Amino acid sequence: MADDEQDLKEYRWETGYEKTWEAIKEDEDGLVEGLVAEFAQKAARKALTPRRGPVRLGMMRHLLVAIDCSEAMSSQDLKPTRFLCTLKLLEKFIEEFFDQNPLSQLGLITMKNKRAEKITELSGNIRKHIKVVQGLLNLALTGEPSLQNTLEMAHRVLKPLPGHASRELLVLFASLTTCDPGDVNTTIQNLKNEGIRCSVIGLAAEVRICKKLCQDTGGDYGVVLDDVHYRSLLLEHTSPPPRARALDAGLVKMGFPHTAPPSTQSDTEPPITICMCHIDEGEGVGGEGHLCPQCRSKYCSLPAQCRTCGLTLASAPHLARSYHHLFPVDPFEELKNDGQSQFCFACVRSFTDVDKQIYRCNRCVEYYCWECESMISSTLHVCPGCASRPHLYQRLPDTS
Amino acid sequence: MADDEIPSDSSTLVIIVDTNPNQRYITEDPKILTGCLDAVIAFANSHLMQKSRNELAVIGCHFHKSEYLYPSPGKPLDVRQIDGQYELFTLVEKTVKMRLVNLIKSQPQEEKPGESLLAGALAMGLCFISKVRREASPALKISSRILIVTGSSDTAAQYINYMNVFFTAQKQQVLIDVCSLDKHLSLLQQGCDITGGLYLKVPTLEGLLQYLLWVFLPEGSERKQLVLPGRGRVDYRAACFCHRELLTIGYVCSVCLSVFCKFSPICTTCHTVFKIGGPLPIKPKKKKMKV
Repeated sequence: MADDEQDLKEYRWETGYEKTWEAIKEDEDGLVEGLVAEFAQKAARKALTPRRGPVRLGMMRHLLVAIDCSEAMSSQDLKPTRFLCTLKLLEKFIEEFFDQNPLSQLGLITMKNKRAEKITELSGNIRKHIKVVQGLLNLALTGEPSLQNTLEMAHRVLKPLPGHASRELLVLFASLTTCDPGDVNTTIQNLKNEGIRCSVIGLAAEVRICKKLCQDTGGDYGVVLDDVHYRSLLLEHTSPPPRARALDAGLVKMGFPHTAPPSTQSDTEPPITICMCHIDEGEGVGGEGHLCPQCRSKYCSLPAQCRTCGLTLASAPHLARSYHHLFPVDPFEELKNDGQSQFCFACVRSFTDVDKQIYRCNRCVEYYCWECESMISSTLHVCPGCASRPHLYQRLPDTS
Repeated sequence: MADDEIPSDSSTLVIIVDTNPNQRYITEDPKILTGCLDAVIAFANSHLMQKSRNELAVIGCHFHKSEYLYPSPGKPLDVRQIDGQYELFTLVEKTVKMRLVNLIKSQPQEEKPGESLLAGALAMGLCFISKVRREASPALKISSRILIVTGSSDTAAQYINYMNVFFTAQKQQVLIDVCSLDKHLSLLQQGCDITGGLYLKVPTLEGLLQYLLWVFLPEGSERKQLVLPGRGRVDYRAACFCHRELLTIGYVCSVCLSVFCKFSPICTTCHTVFKIGGPLPIKPKKKKMKV
């Protein structure tokens, strides 16, 4: 968003009239159905503008999300209120974030009463974050937020992380003002020096200091139009950002817990053990779990960081879940539907007059409908045609 | 996952039949495939019989390509009632058999059959399921699952494709069931575990229909009430990229997530040079000595 506006060098209200109604044309029967379908398709495609090209991604993300809990959040321009809308979307965001970045960690900060408070530590535990977010529902929204205090807090939390980790802060900012104890510019400079990428989503209007923050630290700045736009802006942050140049690469020691059958004497009951992720709540006694290969402490879900020896525990599919960022499907070619094919290869739907465009994979030369195309490029990451051809199914890492 | 307890209004089943001629049970006795196919068709029809809104797709996975055996693209076959059988059942049987013959006939003669590319067929199945969901009315509760009937072994070559498919299925709440006719399939078993489906290696081929009907016919919400084969233990260890050995502790590149069994200064996958910490802190001490 920020980049677009920079290129244009002008704001939307400074441009001429847009005659949006002139784009709508009736066909010979006086209907607009086909055109509406085409618009819908174009909008859907625009929503998932793919990022292509060989980028090195920061896969191990450490993201802090700062939620504005000031008075400005109680405004009702987003329904029911800005705050409730944010919490609802945040829940979805947390799920999606861990789905896309299984080895990453997330932490939550609230900004209210000129203070920044850490409400969850950086961790990879989804349930914990969601529980805390749900617990915020009845929070009293008071005072002004302080951007500087939030940035200082993020700086403190993210600074000690190892060099290979990507460090990010996402601020959901509703207020148009900030109450800062000192010069925020020096704080921004500090963040920039540490390579912490700050992004802001504004709920009200563009604020210059936020824009400067994002520009200086290489983040994205967006201001929401409505709840749908808010959602898409928020979910943009789930895909890993390009790796910052300052980031060091490193080999990370990782454990792959192996649930080997411990039952050499299968008649006896398995010993009662306590799961380490639930040890604070006093639950999770007994049952199966994953044992840390280094210190044998038990965890009921993966990925986790071993509380005893600090080893990162993951399972092989967690690593594999991220591979699609590295080996994306080649984009399909958009063609005019001239009856090249009668049906979509993937879902056997017959093409009709509404399908003005069809898509072709240039490797396996199969035709797809636009719905399958968007599903393949956004979630599936496997071309069904290529994956079932013996000479095409392997997509080897292309390092060039 | 909360939807699991409520019975669905309609369920979609995609059956993937592996017809690769190099499966051991086919090379030993080619006629047995007919028996297996009959079992699968009978199973498919029993699925359709359960609810009038149930949807079905059968995908044939041959070594050179995968193709829908049912429904056939375009206009469905013209069938009339035979012996009082429900027309839909006749249609399923006729279409599957006819299209399978075409699929097998289209196989390239000069090529040697390679491994069965089930990941591609799974991807097609997922596209079909999402199409069914799109076209159904939003009020309808649809449960979906994919059943793989195969006798081939799995190899690591399709690993990334498999994982992408499994995670998509998990996201869309599609169960993946696997009915193995011959060997133990560790990769597909992981898929069952990820998506919450069932894995069964049938002890005898003669009883295939019985296993299918007993184990795989009930949909997800009904399965909790039945005693079905357990998940077993799934091996989730990662294999290192250098020697393909299973590891319990390994090193992972922070850029591309390649797994290595030993520390090396350069990642062989993405050619990143790693920073090595260690001898650097000695320097300041020397300076102090000079002063």
